Amino acid sequence: MASYDVVFDTLGLRQWCDRDAGGGPMTMDQLLGRSAGGDEAAAKSLWELPFPSLDTLHQACNALPQTRNVTKGLEQLFLAAKDGLKVVLDPVTQPLSWLLDGSLFLVLNTPWFVIVPLLLAVVYAVSRSLRLVAFVALCIFALAFIDHYDHAMQTLSIIFVCAFLCVLLGVPIGIAMSRSDTMKRGTVPILDMLQTLPPFVYLIPLIFLFSVTESKLYGIAIILYAIVPVIRLTDLGIRQVDPDVVEAANAFGMTERQKLFGVQIPLALPTIMAGVNQTIMMSLAMVVIASLVSAPGLGVLVLRGIRNLELGVGLVAGLGIVLLAVILDRVTKASLQRINPEKTD
Amino acid sequence: MSEDIKVSIRGLYKIFGIDPEGALANVRAGMGKHELLEKRAHVLGLKDINIDMKAGEITVIMGLSGSGKSTLIRHLNRLIEPTAGEIWVDGDNVLDFTDDELRRLRQERMSMVFQKFALLPHRSVLENAGMALATRGYRREDYESEASHWLERVGLDGYGDHYPRQLSGGMQQRVGIARALTSNSEVMLMDEAFSALDPLIRTDMQDLLVKLQQELKKTIVFITHDLDEALKLADHLVILNDGCVVQQGEPQHILLKPADGYIEDFVSDINRARVLRVRSVMQQGNGGRDSFSGEVDHDDTLESVIAKAEGDVATRFRVLRDGEPVGTLEMSHLVRALVPTRASDDGVRSSAA
Repeated sequence: MASYDVVFDTLGLRQWCDRDAGGGPMTMDQLLGRSAGGDEAAAKSLWELPFPSLDTLHQACNALPQTRNVTKGLEQLFLAAKDGLKVVLDPVTQPLSWLLDGSLFLVLNTPWFVIVPLLLAVVYAVSRSLRLVAFVALCIFALAFIDHYDHAMQTLSIIFVCAFLCVLLGVPIGIAMSRSDTMKRGTVPILDMLQTLPPFVYLIPLIFLFSVTESKLYGIAIILYAIVPVIRLTDLGIRQVDPDVVEAANAFGMTERQKLFGVQIPLALPTIMAGVNQTIMMSLAMVVIASLVSAPGLGVLVLRGIRNLELGVGLVAGLGIVLLAVILDRVTKASLQRINPEKTD
Repeated sequence: MSEDIKVSIRGLYKIFGIDPEGALANVRAGMGKHELLEKRAHVLGLKDINIDMKAGEITVIMGLSGSGKSTLIRHLNRLIEPTAGEIWVDGDNVLDFTDDELRRLRQERMSMVFQKFALLPHRSVLENAGMALATRGYRREDYESEASHWLERVGLDGYGDHYPRQLSGGMQQRVGIARALTSNSEVMLMDEAFSALDPLIRTDMQDLLVKLQQELKKTIVFITHDLDEALKLADHLVILNDGCVVQQGEPQHILLKPADGYIEDFVSDINRARVLRVRSVMQQGNGGRDSFSGEVDHDDTLESVIAKAEGDVATRFRVLRDGEPVGTLEMSHLVRALVPTRASDDGVRSSAA
């Protein structure tokens, strides 16, 4: 009946194959084949020999699993591990939910005339540029004027929380990587995976692990996606510190600690800050996608635009995101300029 | 160990490669550098180095690039770990030191000046000068006066608030020297400290070092590839080639009695009059004559004597040491001592040609 019958017959496995004959429902292919009414075996020449995939082999030998069993097996494995994982992950990640919920509550319940000046003060503190402050003010007022203030602030506060955590976790990981080649060899493949995995794919296991009503779900997705550049650039920055200067630090008897905080980190700071800039930009990209799993903010409006074909809503929210991106980029770059020790003044 | 020997290197070997211990056995059995590289893929960095450095003297280690001189100086404060050997500083074997003791040695007893200055670009000149003290845990107000004092001594008065990048190369190296001096260590390691500077500034810096040394009497280990610089600074000169000490001793002696073709090549084209001193060419006693056209000190260079004689080869000088006559210098002898030695036939130059 099937193409590979011969193989199992010659190997003398026929009995083993037919032990539980006829088990399980048909695959879609079989069903289609039957409804077409063709007698498969007769029509097949050697030219049409199918690839010996699991499904094809299953036709010849019932004891072999079908591809759908693999998919199902993986799913069941994941579901079986889920409860165990949750016991560990839930308490560890719970503070993330609190942080996100807390910051969202804070920005939405503090009046705009407190939040906006506060933001502008922060911008001035890190950039020392009044022109930039004016630009940021203009952008925020424009967004607020078209009633996108709440959404924009939600997006911003999620980015702040996630980028802050990325730096908090990423910089130490990057430092560890720069100090140990073994650590680097172990970490780089993970970073590569995180960076190449399509953002949507992150969401799949997370949806199973956590309830969609929990904010940590999108928090984790954003952090995983955005943490990569800050780790990579911290490692790079520290490895790039002039070896002569490090040697001088050794020659004058600095301890590892003095060397790290007195020499390596200060000299790597411009590179680390470039990583922070990238991390913030990637958080912004992910926060939009994360609106699929209930992240509030401008992303929700974009999603609404797509779902309901409300072209205007989507476009305006999209432009709002562009504005936020420009603001974040300018402000981090300006602060980067300011701390760069190579610049002359 | 004699009293005034400050730093002593004994039987030092350094082999670079995967299995230095194994390769060391081969080297001790007589395998040469090239054979070791070909057969065992190990690089012989230093081979059986024995040097005594006296307190208060400048020991110059000279060699061409690749001779192992920078590797050697880094063994003294163990920036590089030797494969075998001993390094004695004030009667302690540095190789027995724990991490803490080693750190204290580097903080308090040995400072270093680097070819590429290696200043901390994010700290001011003053903070750089005070780096050794800051590392020991002094706060800025505690080391400020000390650091300013040494900055002033190296001619950088008033530059304390500048940043290294705002200074020229020569000034940056002055900061490097001030940094080493501020640590108040007795031993100073100078790794090609002036090689990156242009010739005029280099001469300035050499003069500065000589002036400071007259007063401070530090034990200085100076690395250079420049023979003129070596002869100008050295009390004790060590010539290194392919990781081995070819000849060591007083510079005068090396100049007059080069041990082999390699050193002859080195010394063949330097200004001998500037390096040789009266004591190396004078004769003992007054030679039965008592008509002298003048008096010179036994430590004067021949160049200064020629200037004194105004080029007249018929003159004769009485040589004094501490005011006492100790010998006679005939100008004709002096001229003979200045006859240049030819580059040797089997030396590096002829083989390169």
